[in-house]
Amino acid sequence: MKAALISNVNVESLARRIEGHEVFIAGGYGAWTQELANPSSDLWSFDPSAVFLLLDGAELALKAGDASFEGLAAALDEHLSWIQGAAESHPSAKIFVSTLDVPRQWLRSLKSRVAERHVEHHWYARLTALSEALPNMYAFDVKAIVETIGRPQFYSAKRWYVGGMRYGIQGEKDLAREMTRMLDVLVRAGKKLLVLDLDHTLWGGIVGEDGINGIALSATGPGARYKDFQRRVRQLKELGVILAVVSKNNEADVLEVFDKHPDMVLRKDDFAMMKVNWAPKPQNIAELAQDLDLGTDSFVFIDDNPVEREAVRSALPDVVVPEFPADTCDLPQFLEQIQRDHFFVLAATEEDRKRTETYLQNAKRSVERNAAGSVEEFLAALKTKITLGRVTDDDVARAAQLTQKTNQFNLTTRRYTEQDVQRFRNSRDYSVYLASVSDKYGDNGKVLLAIVHKVGNDTAELDTFLMSCRVMGRFIEDQVLDHLVRELRGSGVSKLLVHYTPTKKNPPAKAFCERLQGGVATHGAQDPQQGTATTTWTFDLTQGSPVTTPAYAEIMSR
Amino acid sequence: MEQRLIKVIAAALGVDASTLKLDTTADDVAAWDSVAQVNIVSEIEAEFGVSIPIEKIAEIHRIREFLPYLTKGPS
Repeated sequence: MKAALISNVNVESLARRIEGHEVFIAGGYGAWTQELANPSSDLWSFDPSAVFLLLDGAELALKAGDASFEGLAAALDEHLSWIQGAAESHPSAKIFVSTLDVPRQWLRSLKSRVAERHVEHHWYARLTALSEALPNMYAFDVKAIVETIGRPQFYSAKRWYVGGMRYGIQGEKDLAREMTRMLDVLVRAGKKLLVLDLDHTLWGGIVGEDGINGIALSATGPGARYKDFQRRVRQLKELGVILAVVSKNNEADVLEVFDKHPDMVLRKDDFAMMKVNWAPKPQNIAELAQDLDLGTDSFVFIDDNPVEREAVRSALPDVVVPEFPADTCDLPQFLEQIQRDHFFVLAATEEDRKRTETYLQNAKRSVERNAAGSVEEFLAALKTKITLGRVTDDDVARAAQLTQKTNQFNLTTRRYTEQDVQRFRNSRDYSVYLASVSDKYGDNGKVLLAIVHKVGNDTAELDTFLMSCRVMGRFIEDQVLDHLVRELRGSGVSKLLVHYTPTKKNPPAKAFCERLQGGVATHGAQDPQQGTATTTWTFDLTQGSPVTTPAYAEIMSR
Repeated sequence: MEQRLIKVIAAALGVDASTLKLDTTADDVAAWDSVAQVNIVSEIEAEFGVSIPIEKIAEIHRIREFLPYLTKGPS
């Protein structure tokens, strides 16, 4: 990741402490505003993906040369307008701007107002307002580091006077760690799922022995450490982290606590899945991964029991298993650390919150599938509704995106732009269909795209037939094709051509073609580059529908 | 004491301690520039709980020359 660092103090030593990224220090430390403002400056010529603007409060205050709040605030507002301009003209760069810490610069009487303190708040208010307005700008809370370690640790007078280096060793290390965290999260995704133990973790004591009234969990007193811990777990979920429980317990005891304990913050519905049984934990965790269709390399596992932690570590080395705090009073703080280390996010979007919901729905479907006697029973129980219609103006972007992103269930893997889709829509020979799928657990959104091409008076071909993997394995594609066939026959089409172009990833599409009935297959010429050949099946629609899977979903036209 | 000094300097420079001797100088180590010099001083001060006078910092070039400052009191 290319990161640029600009500052009003010497940050050479700090930059050296950032590992794993290409860090460039732009401009001298007097010249940071010019670096920001000038589009052909060293800073922007470096073409950074991330820019850190690290401002030393003492320097800013001294340069402003005015001990009054009004004077300082005016100087800061001018700086902020430079920053805003830079963020607006470089929307693809993420810009992290430090919050201010302003140690006292002027000797004053006790009666007089400390302008430095007011300035910090002024900067913070303006900066966060800007950050809300500009999607690519973030407040980097340097002041929070100062508050944690204190100014004597954060700054060093000697380093300042010797080398213009404002930060002490500890301050520099903490800054570098936080900056590395922000850069890391731009390159690789964090963990997705938190697996929690129950006894001695979500509450104190063992519910199976102590009973619902005997466990430690309360609003005040010693039990509050568990309540505070739960509160933070709940906040993690709001950030898009998926929660699960793996516990050796009797399920009835556990559910009683979740349903009836007045101080439980977490509810059963906060978890995508609960494995409460006596099976080994590594086995339960592996099953979780399978049920939720997630890799165990996206899991973090919290358990107070060192034997369980070791069992998971050795059986599933991909799972992150942090040491449990020796003093349980540190539990809330422990979870804050876990969040920073493994679930750090720059911004939690609506999508993140929705993702948790999606997995929760998928988990419920999966449970139902395991419980159902047969696939048919499962599908019927889902009460699937398919809404099928022609692509509208609002759908064009989604339709193009589906052609770009769908790999597995995609018969021809033809990638189209929004302009292409518009072109199909405007053509008399093409019909573009988009289907959305919902069931009793929720809405899966617009997930299936079909582009039908009329190639003659009585003949049509499937130019594109694809479906998001979110709904694979539920024969949605069969239902939709059957519906399309009926529509085509109604409009006088008697012959349908279905093409399949093999790729590394699309065997699911092949399986679909092969379960269609009554087609005559012809093999096209081999593609000299891919080494693959397209197979075309011709179906005589006067002989009935090629689809043999029984209809189970309700199809609505829109 | 001497080994502890070498360890601290090696960590500050980001090099292996075995590559450093008491008579190693700033000219011998590529990473030992003026910024590194300040970091070495800071790390030594923190590790040994001492203070190296600001006037002396630029004069020190050889690892051995830090030794007089490692104990508190008049040097």
